[in-house]
Amino acid sequence: MTSRKKLLATLLTGAVTVGLMAGCGNNSNDSTTSNANANAGASDEKIKLRMIESLTSPNRTKLIQASIDKFEEANPNIEVEFISPPFDQADNKIRTMLGAKEDIDILEVRDLNVAEMVNNGFVEPLNQYAEKWTDFGSLTAVAKSVGSVGDKIYFIPNGLYERQLFYRADWFKDLGLTPPKTWDELYETAKKLTDPAKNRFGFSFRGGSGSTGTTDAMILAFNGPKVNLEDSMFTTDGASVYSTPEAKAAMELYLKLYKDASPPDSINWGFQEQVQAFTSGVTGMLLQDPDVIQSLTEKMQEGTWATAPLQTGPTGKALFAAGGAGWGIAANSEHKEAAWKLIEFLSSPAENTQFSKDFGLIPVHASAVEDEFFKTGPYKTLLDMSNQPDTFVNYKPAFQYPGNAQWGQVAMESTQALLLGQANLDDTLKKWDQYWVDEKAKLKK
Amino acid sequence: MKNQRLFILSGLLPALLLVLVFTYYPFFKGIMMAFQEYKLFDLRNVHYIGLDNFKAAFKDPKFLMALKNSGYWVFCSLILQFMFGLILALLMKKQFRGRGIYQGFAFYSWALSGFLIGMIWKWMFNSQIGVINDLLLKFGIIHERIGFLSDPKWAMVSNIVANVWYGVAFFAIMLLAALQSVPSELYEAAEMDGATGWRKLMNVTLPYIMPTIIATTLLRAIWIFNDPAIIYGLTNGGPAGSTHILSSLMLDKIIYGGDYGAASAIGIIMMVILLLYTIFFLAVTKAEKVGDF
Repeated sequence: MTSRKKLLATLLTGAVTVGLMAGCGNNSNDSTTSNANANAGASDEKIKLRMIESLTSPNRTKLIQASIDKFEEANPNIEVEFISPPFDQADNKIRTMLGAKEDIDILEVRDLNVAEMVNNGFVEPLNQYAEKWTDFGSLTAVAKSVGSVGDKIYFIPNGLYERQLFYRADWFKDLGLTPPKTWDELYETAKKLTDPAKNRFGFSFRGGSGSTGTTDAMILAFNGPKVNLEDSMFTTDGASVYSTPEAKAAMELYLKLYKDASPPDSINWGFQEQVQAFTSGVTGMLLQDPDVIQSLTEKMQEGTWATAPLQTGPTGKALFAAGGAGWGIAANSEHKEAAWKLIEFLSSPAENTQFSKDFGLIPVHASAVEDEFFKTGPYKTLLDMSNQPDTFVNYKPAFQYPGNAQWGQVAMESTQALLLGQANLDDTLKKWDQYWVDEKAKLKK
Repeated sequence: MKNQRLFILSGLLPALLLVLVFTYYPFFKGIMMAFQEYKLFDLRNVHYIGLDNFKAAFKDPKFLMALKNSGYWVFCSLILQFMFGLILALLMKKQFRGRGIYQGFAFYSWALSGFLIGMIWKWMFNSQIGVINDLLLKFGIIHERIGFLSDPKWAMVSNIVANVWYGVAFFAIMLLAALQSVPSELYEAAEMDGATGWRKLMNVTLPYIMPTIIATTLLRAIWIFNDPAIIYGLTNGGPAGSTHILSSLMLDKIIYGGDYGAASAIGIIMMVILLLYTIFFLAVTKAEKVGDF
């Protein structure tokens, strides 16, 4: 090899090495320094924001991207890179990216993991930004509460989820049934609707991922006034809600609901299967959040389904919690002002109301609930529930406990073992009780 | 000479750096994590805990169940995939009309992702709206719907069925390639000795393709052992953790528990098992020429 060729090859190799290394690095060169950030897109320098969502679905991603496009049009100096990991891996991807100190400016924080994010120092408190935000005043108290840990707000919810009953109005009519008001009535009604020979079952049971939605709802409703609404895994006496005789009664009914009125396969069902069974005519009642409304409207004929409020326990009370996810700013972000500008835009009454209508959520601004759209149809039940605060009591879920994120998995596996007869009810409740007693002890440390 | 070596070394440098960053760094980091309390939701409290993650694993009934399941999963999947793969390869070796199209259909499952296959079979196995129950009922084979995914006895079998469907193509491709290399003179000689179809298979075909059989079964066993995709898509380890294998449990520790320490410990245990298996397998099959792989 001649020395000229060697030199050329060396230069090429060097160039490739530098190129590869640049490719492996972060995108900080695409963004400007924090000087530019001070003006949040007002200067000539371009700011690139990286934003990641958690509750991904193709339709939702499209809606959010459309809002981002509008924002970029109004703010030509701010470019937004929107990252949408697959739903199952999204939260872990976010954790890993933040843990590795990758460039993330805006992230979707969930009620489930906000305490964990705060604990790890991943998210920035938004109070100083929110105080200057003109629309902050119209944010509902529930929305503020969902996004807060202690006295600090960490994310602005992009919509609220609240559970209600969806039922097959046509089946009910045929059998002369009325929507159940209590959990006992729900069981009786479900049993009447069940006919395995016709492959028809009363209740769209969810024994897989997300099963705590039903077990916790029943246990809380049965405990009723005993529950400490600010620390809902515990009673006002300080015992866990799983340690009471009411919890046992609730779970006994739960077991009957599965055995007598639910498809056997539903022990493994998650959201998709649960909704699919309802829309395809296998099950007659479904407990879900309003984000299923769009799918029911698309797949079922008008008049075949309707909604009813959540069921009450023996004390006449149903405890419910509005949940949600929303936009927070990463503590390591170098573009916090610009990030807030985008959050402010996405959370404005106009954008949030439209997003809530399009995706099927409860808007976060009090003014939006006055919209006729939310006063009629499937949303009406939710408004009716909020108009009866003595019956439908709002509680604060255990979001302050970092272990809350793992609770779903722990409860799901032990519930499945219980349903399969591999564990008994007393031991299961003892296990759950211990879990929360331990969590409380850890929190006190 | 020295300059030339330096030049070669500098040329290899980019590749070496990439291997170091993407292979060895995660590998050693993983080993370190196995001895640490390393939970994603508590990253401020990362510290060394010695062998605690390993001790916890062997005390965990879920781990012991997954260990047992892993053996069952690999053994059944491998035997069935090989058997059906060999049958398919023998059928496809013959010349017949539309052979190419048939081969395309036979091999296409290999092109799909394991997770997607799990999702597809999940709907097919669904006891209420799944096609398998519908067909079995229609043909009078069963009179009651079977909870393929809700009954732990059936759930593991369902996973194995999906995995067999997926992996048959691999054996069919590899064995077909090997079968096509068997010299026709050997068959002619066997026929002259009066060998029938079965004798030809046992005494000519299988011995000739034995190196391929050994290499493919060794590799496939490792892949099956390591791959949680189908289980994750089909049953997600449920019901009640009854279908977890070690790799799906490891993934579970990360996805739902954020516990990288526990997951890394399981990873190391898996590595040791595979190492022992490979040594044992190669020792047993030493007499056969397996080639370089």
